[in-house]
Amino acid sequence: MELTTDVTNLWSEGDLNKFRRMTLIWGATVLLLLPILASLGYFMRMFQSNFFPHMRPEWFYAVLTLHSLGMVGTWFVGGMAGVSYLLTQYTHPSLAISKLNYWGTLVGVLLLVACTLGGLFGTGWYFLFPLPLYSQGVWQPWATVTFFVALAVLGLCWTIWTLDLLRAIAQRYSLKAALGLNYLLGKPGPDVPPLVLISTVSLIVSFAGFVAAVIVIVLFGVDALGYAIDPLLMKNLTFFFGHILVNITMYLGVAMVYELLPSYAGRPWKTNRVVAIAWDAVLFLILFAFFHHLYMDFAQPRWVQTFGQICSYFLAVPAGVVSIFGCLALVYASKMKWTLASVLFFLGIMGWGVGGIAAVIDSTVEVNFHFHNTLWVPAHFHTYYLMGVVLIILGFIDHLGLEVSKLQESPPRTKAIITLLLLGGYGFLSMFYWAGAHSIPRRYAVYPNELAQGTLYARVAFGFITVLLCGILLYLWETGKRCIKAFSA
Amino acid sequence: MIQMHAFYAFLVVGGLLVLIFIYVAASTRHSREIDFHAAYAVRKKFFFVLLALILVGFGLTLGKMPYPQENQVPDKVVFVVGKQFSFGVSDSPITNDQEYEAATYAAPVELPVGALVEFRVTSFDVNHGFSVYSPNGDLLGQTQAMPGYVNRLRLRFTQPGRYNVFCLELCGMGHHRMRGVFYVK
Repeated sequence: MELTTDVTNLWSEGDLNKFRRMTLIWGATVLLLLPILASLGYFMRMFQSNFFPHMRPEWFYAVLTLHSLGMVGTWFVGGMAGVSYLLTQYTHPSLAISKLNYWGTLVGVLLLVACTLGGLFGTGWYFLFPLPLYSQGVWQPWATVTFFVALAVLGLCWTIWTLDLLRAIAQRYSLKAALGLNYLLGKPGPDVPPLVLISTVSLIVSFAGFVAAVIVIVLFGVDALGYAIDPLLMKNLTFFFGHILVNITMYLGVAMVYELLPSYAGRPWKTNRVVAIAWDAVLFLILFAFFHHLYMDFAQPRWVQTFGQICSYFLAVPAGVVSIFGCLALVYASKMKWTLASVLFFLGIMGWGVGGIAAVIDSTVEVNFHFHNTLWVPAHFHTYYLMGVVLIILGFIDHLGLEVSKLQESPPRTKAIITLLLLGGYGFLSMFYWAGAHSIPRRYAVYPNELAQGTLYARVAFGFITVLLCGILLYLWETGKRCIKAFSA
Repeated sequence: MIQMHAFYAFLVVGGLLVLIFIYVAASTRHSREIDFHAAYAVRKKFFFVLLALILVGFGLTLGKMPYPQENQVPDKVVFVVGKQFSFGVSDSPITNDQEYEAATYAAPVELPVGALVEFRVTSFDVNHGFSVYSPNGDLLGQTQAMPGYVNRLRLRFTQPGRYNVFCLELCGMGHHRMRGVFYVK
């Protein structure tokens, strides 16, 4: 079927080079932020190890806030930049909006650094209502205002970016086609690459999440004016937004794997009816799975809790049966070209699966009763983040650097990077899982005497993070060289 | 302990997935064409196995939600208020700051062994997490302490001893030292 725009007329060579250059700038920025934000996590585990007995705990909570928001934001923009670049094969995303987002994100990040490290704002990423307004004198009103201004700037920029990518997709494919409805209904229609389908689903859902975030920010303002706001409503909106942002980042990474892994495996990975059903099901299920964050709010209606568990369990079906199985079938007995990038893609999908299993276990209300806000929670989300989407985005940056620079990689160094990342990453995570199974709370600056084993687990984790950081630094050295050459090319 | 059951279940299923990934990666040493119809048939079986597991999971767990059952009458009611950075735990209702202060300084509440206890949990400021730890340090159960809401947590204690209450929702700089205590005798 004819498409609305001829792809060959979408880009001039010069414009495409500019877009590629912008993507490299995004990639370099992500690579710069990675060791800084990882060091904040390193600091937190050191703090919990009692390495800084004289430091005030306020620092822990401020660093926790910056680490979590920084990491979520960094990988979201990394995913958006990567997907935007890959979409240039099929659509025409705006370079100007990518640039606007770059500067907007930079301003937002600087404001976050100011209010956390400068103002000790320490509410965690989720700034659960009404905690920002109850600082106990730790952070001043200017820090609270700066925090919300930072969120508003980031939210505005990212919403514009989301809408622009949707605009670009809709200009070539109708929204109906981009959602794979032709495949679903068995009707003729344009070939829709999985990248387009997954991006469309992700962008629609993230737009809904950003709208919820705007409502939360506005309601904080309304409360500050003296009108009482319902804390349960605020919590629902906050986790709707937060759950979506984290999951969409994962899906952006998965979209990249659908697009790039076939070129390494030498086999196609196309949209078909099953793939379309799977991702359209995700579009529905993801909107309601967030209820599992509120299982311990017993005031929430019981049918909502039940629905939360049902949606959370069923989200495993499209992920497992279609995407993870599809990845395995693609690679199985193929003429796979194993490079740093392709290994990272493959391991990233594995990390998504492993973390997903732990997440499904925790999404059982009966289990969550014992796991909620213990270290089991950061265990599973760090698994599909750090060992999932982060590896995929690092793979994408390496892929892009190699594609442009043509600088070949060193197999021994690739093996060393993979070994250090796996050993350090999964070793670090194992301490989260073990501690969670032993009822150790998350977000504790210092463990009380009754839970002193948490300190020991933090010390073991410190050792593994050291290994992980060595892997990250070696990766930065290898990929950094390619990116610098690519940038100067 | 349910936590350890969950941990070992995760190790088994997660370990199996990792082994599958290793097997698939190793298969690329001897590349060959594969029959995608056969792969689709495997996927179909996997779909039904996963669906069956999910339905079994619902069957085993949805009936065991920790929410209060209206047809069950608690033997004892305990009132809990969270406030930065302590829990007030009392036999009598806590309705204002003075009663909250009195509860935090009063002798710990004592509960009978084997009784079904209902904790009526709320907050006077921000969200807190009311979590009950056994004398062995195991997290027995929890609910949120949310301003404007009363969450009813029901637990039956079979082991006598000192039970610690810790806060499991980030509530500010003193979050890690926010606690309460009661005894079961």
